[in-house]
Amino acid sequence: MSCVTLQDRAVAINPTRSCAPIGAMLANYGIHGAITINHGSQGCATYPRHQMARHFREPVEVATTSLTEKTTVYGGRNNLLAALKNIWERFHPTMIMVCSTCLSETIGDDIPGVIDEFKEKNPDITIPIMSVKTPSYIGTHTTGFDNFLTELANTMPERRKKKGETNGKINIIPGWVNPGDIRELKHIVREMGLHGLWLTDYSETLDGGYYEPRPHFARGGTTVEDLRSSAKSLATIALQRHIGGEAARVYERRHNVPAHILPMPIGLANTDAFVETLTEITDHAIPEALQVERARLLDALVDTHMFTTGLRVALYGDPDLLEGLTGLVAEMGMTPAYILTADERKPWAERMVELTQELGVESEIIIKGDLHELHKRIKANPVDLIIGHSKGKFISDAEKIPLIRLGFPVEDRFGYHRRSIVGYNGAISLVDEITNVVFERKATAVVSNTLLEIGVEGHTSIPFTFTNGSTNGKH
Amino acid sequence: MQFKCNETLPERGTHIALKAAGGGCQRGDGTSCGIVSNSATTPGDMTERGCTYAGCRGVVGGPVKDAIQLTHGPIGCAFFSWGYRPHLADTDFHMKYTFVSDMKETNIVFGGEKKLLQSIIEANREFPEAKAVFVYNTCATALIGDDGRDVAKQAEEIIGKPVVFFECEGFKGVSQSMGHHVGNETIFRQLVGSIEPEGDFSRTINIVGDYNIKNDIRTFEYLFEALGLKIITRFTGNVGVDELRIMHKAALNVIHCQRSATYIADMMHDKYGTPAINVTLWGIKHMSQALRDTAKFFGLEAEAEEIIERELAKIQPKIDYYRERLKGKTVFIYQGGPRTWHWIELLRELGMETMTAATTFGHDDDYEKIFEQISEGAMMIDNPNVPEIEEILTKRRPDLFISGNKEKYLAYKLGVPFVNGHTYDTGPYAGFIGMVNFARDMDKALHAPIWGTLRNRARPAPAAHHSAHGFAHGFEEAD
Repeated sequence: MSCVTLQDRAVAINPTRSCAPIGAMLANYGIHGAITINHGSQGCATYPRHQMARHFREPVEVATTSLTEKTTVYGGRNNLLAALKNIWERFHPTMIMVCSTCLSETIGDDIPGVIDEFKEKNPDITIPIMSVKTPSYIGTHTTGFDNFLTELANTMPERRKKKGETNGKINIIPGWVNPGDIRELKHIVREMGLHGLWLTDYSETLDGGYYEPRPHFARGGTTVEDLRSSAKSLATIALQRHIGGEAARVYERRHNVPAHILPMPIGLANTDAFVETLTEITDHAIPEALQVERARLLDALVDTHMFTTGLRVALYGDPDLLEGLTGLVAEMGMTPAYILTADERKPWAERMVELTQELGVESEIIIKGDLHELHKRIKANPVDLIIGHSKGKFISDAEKIPLIRLGFPVEDRFGYHRRSIVGYNGAISLVDEITNVVFERKATAVVSNTLLEIGVEGHTSIPFTFTNGSTNGKH
Repeated sequence: MQFKCNETLPERGTHIALKAAGGGCQRGDGTSCGIVSNSATTPGDMTERGCTYAGCRGVVGGPVKDAIQLTHGPIGCAFFSWGYRPHLADTDFHMKYTFVSDMKETNIVFGGEKKLLQSIIEANREFPEAKAVFVYNTCATALIGDDGRDVAKQAEEIIGKPVVFFECEGFKGVSQSMGHHVGNETIFRQLVGSIEPEGDFSRTINIVGDYNIKNDIRTFEYLFEALGLKIITRFTGNVGVDELRIMHKAALNVIHCQRSATYIADMMHDKYGTPAINVTLWGIKHMSQALRDTAKFFGLEAEAEEIIERELAKIQPKIDYYRERLKGKTVFIYQGGPRTWHWIELLRELGMETMTAATTFGHDDDYEKIFEQISEGAMMIDNPNVPEIEEILTKRRPDLFISGNKEKYLAYKLGVPFVNGHTYDTGPYAGFIGMVNFARDMDKALHAPIWGTLRNRARPAPAAHHSAHGFAHGFEEAD
């Protein structure tokens, strides 16, 4: 049976997580023409911008109120008022989101109060100005994303004018995913003959094209009008429990929009859950195209199982990603030996114990963990593969264990933000990638499956350790 | 000379100046000269500036290769400053590891000193081979009044090695620049002079203010060594803690970055009487001059001439080749500080002209040096923000933009060739050899076929269902 470990160290060494403002900034990028003002030190805007630019390879623009020593003493009100005015006058955005920082939270600035003051002074400015609490010392980067969505659900939708009024759409909250993932989810919803209202949609704003002239606002993103109408949707589907789950419940409580909170749709069963939920909500049948994709995933799992079954893998990242990923990893016959997150929530860990038991795999689930801890585990008891974001490359390099890159950030490879790991198609590409990495590792010089199975190795081969302790190579 | 994007921000005019005909200065707000720099950013103007912590942890302290780099604060500051700036060394502990006391809400309420002390002890236990612990303070821990200096002192006694506490909380200054100052001051106070080695130091130098971006230092340290000089300390690219501790023994400080590292040279001059010279280690003229000035101090003039002649012979054919391909091109340089003025001459040596020069955190002396070197009609601008950069790229239309990663994708979206001057495309760019790399990258950027493809084949954005918002306010008119 799986066990749960709470990492017990004061110092974090090579954390898997960053902090809340970047989550709110990312979510806000999914609204067409919206601009973020980060209320704090300049670094709190510039660091996340830089990080996002390295991941998405796009210009990422976030404003800061540039608090300094003086404003720290007297409060940041004037700076925030000036920033709101300057952003409005220079950009005429469709919406402004103000997110806080350690600095503005600790000095106790009343951001919603300042926004009210600004709106009173400027009655002609009617765009929504939303405030989201994102101090770095609470939660992780996912907390900022989740707080943004909860705030959005609480403040943006307009009530139904009469009972039963509907926009015919389904609110879908993808959570912290990549533009390629959102496009894959859109494909599924479109094939189902449905209309999604995406909360939010940065599939194009953060993976845009080259146009002449450059549009003032990046193409794409959910419009403010759509956000306003989101209380009239048929249902809300949150595809990450910890990012958007609460927002879905807010829609249900305040606007009677039924909430469906699902695991991240990675792998067969998790994608089935999403597709089946869509059929339950709407009575639409699963279309031929999706049935074919599903069958193709099954075919890929069959074709590859002899290469993947029995491999030990280490997973790290955000709770929802890990939950979804564990599904696919188990479907491929691999054992998620370590599942490590920086998150500290025990209920998640307990659910993961149940989930791994259901899937018939045994894992050590490490919460409040960091990558140094994972490295020590891997050193003591090696794995065949590591799956997570780019920061795991140091373990991968040191231990010469391949790293399958996914999640955020992937900053040392190109174009990963365009890929998809969700849906049947996302799972197929992940199955292919994992299997190919296994091939490369076993024997770059050997191309025949037959040779590979009898253990002939090329010059770069490193022996495998299977769960039963046997190896297929030298040693 | 006002920017269209600054119609509602008239104060930005005081940060912008043109070099008028006859060499006069014409400032954006109409007054005579001297642009405003190193002052607070206009809130919400979309600045590119970072914070004091970034200047201290990222620029000055971060490159020290055998120190535990520990951030005292919440997680984000440590995560974002980890491993992306290629300040390389001959070992990579400093690139691979980041440490953080990971302040949570309860620590903010009840104080984080205990957790900091515990963190230092644990970090040292995990990596006992580290030579020191560098602790960087952040906004949150400064505001709650944690006495990090005292904790550092306690920790030092427990672990028996230097624990250096940097008071570099993000809100402290108007830009990264304050962080450089804190970094210099703290390293000087806590490390420099704490070991007294024996020996003859009469022919030794420190390279002050080079961070070994993509191994820049390798392109020039062999030149100084060829003069018969020994480099004791590189401040702080490829440097170890012990080398910082004996830094005061050098006979001469050779200062490269004259924004982020003059402070320590000044303090060494005051306390130890160490003389210093300012040099530029980019470009033929400046690199040669740096060798000549250094040689002169030690009476090695003849040797210097020999080295320069030998090295130039190696690169001249390549430089001539690139000059032929690059001449006549106009450049917009936007760097953190001094690189902007370091490179104006280098670009001229390649036949190019700087038409706009900007810095993120330059001070008056940086802008004086820029103004001196730029040609009539060229513009300089302090702390430019995103709309200003966009306006320069689209309206002044330089042939080439040299800036950093954050600005790169903006340039690309506007179809402007770009070279990464912060962390380099395929560097190093310093020294004689590096100049060839720099020229090659500029050539590659300018002559890539993609620009022709864009010119001939790019199309406007297709109408979207929300195209009503597509071309808003002020940007819709064609040039």
